Amino acid sequence: MATTTAAVTLTSDLMSTNMSVSATTTCMKAGTTADGLDQMEYGYVDLPTGDEYDLIASTPTAGKASKLYLKNHSTDETYFIAITQNAQAIGKLYGGDWMFIPADFHDAAGDIAITANGGTNKICYALFHEGTALVTT
Amino acid sequence: MPTTTATVILSSADLLSDELSLSTTMTLTKTTTSTGIEDTTGLNRKKITSTAKGTASGQVTLYTADDFAAIPYLYIKNLATTAGHRIHIYDNTTSGDPLQFQLDAGDWGFIPMHGDKTYKAYATNNPTSIEFMVMGQDQ
Repeated sequence: MATTTAAVTLTSDLMSTNMSVSATTTCMKAGTTADGLDQMEYGYVDLPTGDEYDLIASTPTAGKASKLYLKNHSTDETYFIAITQNAQAIGKLYGGDWMFIPADFHDAAGDIAITANGGTNKICYALFHEGTALVTT
Repeated sequence: MPTTTATVILSSADLLSDELSLSTTMTLTKTTTSTGIEDTTGLNRKKITSTAKGTASGQVTLYTADDFAAIPYLYIKNLATTAGHRIHIYDNTTSGDPLQFQLDAGDWGFIPMHGDKTYKAYATNNPTSIEFMVMGQDQ
């Protein structure tokens, strides 16, 4: 079993006392706490403006677990990528922002699509999963 | 100006043939500026008692549409420890209440949202505890 951990720490002086919130999870296959995700895709690509692109070329298997990390490496704070799942807007990543979502990208419609705004955005992504349907040539 | 940061570390010693270690930190700022955000809901912990979306009671509202100016940052964690006790997060603004994220026991997520949709949560098990917080700029 592969063991992959994802940890987050949020810190802030927004409130009258300093805030620090941390969480760690081991990325597991669906419905188990004993068997870790054992496959991944990783990419670091330029995303040009003008079209919407599928972020994930293959389709994760229905009912299986997927965890997606995505970061916008653009240094211009006005650049952003719009993110949709099943044609519904779920988020925007401005330059320097990242997201981590556990989700069930079980079919082509449920896949993640991204669109660059402002200029060519450079993005980094990692998908941890337990199986995908590869795209035939 | 307040400074709020979010750091993620993804690591594995045995997923690949070499060690995986990815770490990055972002500072949460007002949209298209380098000025830090100033508002938060604070950390919430609630019990989800609904096992379906829709009109049934017991769902937990994580964020109400347009409560914050774009971009609100949502942190969520499923506090369940039993495998299969999933939390489903859905878009309560769009027709059909489409599912957006699913968190299995122990999972967490961090999402820079559009801010114009209401997000609610239901769970496969009654009750299931969730921890969440929204950070951003009130409007």
